[in-house]
Amino acid sequence: MKFEVEARVLRRSGFSLEATFACDAASVGIVGPSGSGKSTLLDILAGVESGGRVVLDGRDVSRVKLHRRRVGYVTQDPLLFPHLDVRRNLAYAPGAEGVEDVAGALGIANLLDRMPRHLSGGERRRAALARAIASKPELLLLDEPFAGLDERRRREAMSLLDQARRRFGLPMVLVSHFAEEVIALTDWAVRLETGRVAAAGPSASVLRAGETQIDNFFLATVVSPGLVRCGHVELHAMVPESASGDVRLGCYAHDVLLATGEPQGISARNVIWTMATAVEAAGDAVLVSIATPPVRALVTREAAERLDISAGKRLVAILKATSIAYLGPA
Amino acid sequence: MTPVLLSLSVGLTATLISLPPGIAVAWIIERTRIPGRGLLHAAVLLPLVLPPVVTGYLLLRLFSPRGALGGMLASAGMPVAFSWLGAVVAAAVVGFPLVVLSITLAMKGIDPRFETVSRSLGRSGWSTFWRVTLPLTWPGILAGSVLAFARGLGEFGATIILAGRIEGQTETIPLAVYAALEAPGGEERIGTLIGASVAICLACVFAARALDTWHRRRLELAR
Repeated sequence: MKFEVEARVLRRSGFSLEATFACDAASVGIVGPSGSGKSTLLDILAGVESGGRVVLDGRDVSRVKLHRRRVGYVTQDPLLFPHLDVRRNLAYAPGAEGVEDVAGALGIANLLDRMPRHLSGGERRRAALARAIASKPELLLLDEPFAGLDERRRREAMSLLDQARRRFGLPMVLVSHFAEEVIALTDWAVRLETGRVAAAGPSASVLRAGETQIDNFFLATVVSPGLVRCGHVELHAMVPESASGDVRLGCYAHDVLLATGEPQGISARNVIWTMATAVEAAGDAVLVSIATPPVRALVTREAAERLDISAGKRLVAILKATSIAYLGPA
Repeated sequence: MTPVLLSLSVGLTATLISLPPGIAVAWIIERTRIPGRGLLHAAVLLPLVLPPVVTGYLLLRLFSPRGALGGMLASAGMPVAFSWLGAVVAAAVVGFPLVVLSITLAMKGIDPRFETVSRSLGRSGWSTFWRVTLPLTWPGILAGSVLAFARGLGEFGATIILAGRIEGQTETIPLAVYAALEAPGGEERIGTLIGASVAICLACVFAARALDTWHRRRLELAR
C-alpha cells in the first residue's frame, strides 16, 4: 500500500506532532520512546483523531469518517464488547465475513462461544485481532498489540498475526516499542522522537541506525505485581501479573532521565539515587552508564556538560514505570 | 381504580414515558460536547430540589386548560390538569432527575473507546449507540426506572396541585392516606395502603441495588 502522511496535531498540553512520511510497503512500523506520538499518529491514520492529511493508495481519506475508513483498528487494550460472546464480537462489523476461518487462523476457534470475561489476556488480544481482520478492512492498524504478554505468548501471537495478515492479504501499520517485533513484522519503519520523524526507511536499517531499540537490558526479581527489586532498589515496572521470580527487563537509553538532585512533584514513579560509572560519546549525544539500575542514559552533550557528568558523579536517575518493559523470565 | 392499582398504573406509565427523553438527555450530558450541557444538567435536576408543591404549581400553569399547551392538549381530548394524565405528568417530572442521574452514571462507567472501536469496525454513531452504548447502559436504565417508579408511587405535592384528588382517577396511595387521616376514624382504614406502599418501595429499592451491583461486576470483569 502507498502511504502519504502529513500528520499535524497541537495539544493544549504543549505536545505537538508534526510527522510527514511517504512509502510503499505492505507493512509499516512506527517506533519511538513513550510520549513520542506513536499512538497519536496511529489514531490519525485510523481517523479516530483528525489532524493533517492521510493519502492511502492515492486516495485522500483525511475527511473520511471513522466508520467509513475500513480500518482494522486494534488498541493496546483488546476492548472486546463485554456483552457479546467471542463469535458475536468477531461478527460485529456490518460486512464481517469468514468468522470461523479468521478465528481458526488466530487459534481461537474453540473459544467462539465464550464471553470475553472468561478469556485470558492473550486470548483477548487474539480475539481483538480476529475481530479487526474479520471486518474486512483495507488496512490493519495495531497499537502495541502484544504489550504485556510474556515472551512465549508474544512470539506465538506475532507469528499468528504474520501468517493471518499474509493469508488475508492485509497491509498493516504496527506501533511497537520492541525493535525485534518491528523488524520481524514490518518492511518499512518510521522512528518518532518528541513528535517528529527522526528516521524513516527499511525497518532493519532504521532500527539498527538509531538508539530507538531497547538498548538497556537488566535482570530483576518480581516483588509484587508492578514492582521489582534490582540490586538494592525497588522499581515500578510494566510487569504482567503472571510474572514471578527473576525476570528480564528493558528500557530505551533516551527514556532514562538524569538529574543532580531529586525533582519535586514528578509523575515518574522511579526516582533513584545512583552513580555514573562511565561516560561515552554516541554521535551528537552522550551515553552515561549508571550503577543501579544497570542501564545507560542517552543525554545531549550540552546536558552532560551542564550537569557536569563524569564517572563517579552522584546522580538521580528518573524512569517512568511505563518505560520499563517486561521481556520475559530470566 | 383502587388507590394501589392507580398508584401502580401512574408510576409505571410515568416511568415509561420518561425513559426515552431520559436516555437522550443522559447521552447528551455524558457523550456530547454540545454547549449548554451544564445548564441542561442543572435544569434536569431542578425537580429534585424544588419543593414538589412548587413543581406542581409550575406544571399547573403550563398545563392549565386556559394555557397554550394545556388548552391544546385539552382540545385534543387529553386534558392534563385534574386528570389521570396529570398524575402521570407530575410523577414523571419529579422522577425524571432520578432516571437521568442513573443513566448518566452508567454511561460514565462505559469506556468510550468501546464506541470508538465500534465505529472503526464500520458502525455509524447511531448503530453504535444501539449496539454498544445502550446494552452496556441497560442496568443503569433499569435502576433509574426502579427509582423513578418508587418516587412516582409516593408523589404527593405536585400531584395534588396538578391533578387534584379525584377518587378512582388521581387518588393515588399518598393522597388516599392523606384523605383518610383527615376523616374521623380514618386511621383504621389505611393499614392496607401503608403496608402496600412499604412493600412496593422496599422491593423497588432492593431491585435497584441488585441491578447496580450486577452492572458494576459485569463492567469490572469485562476490562
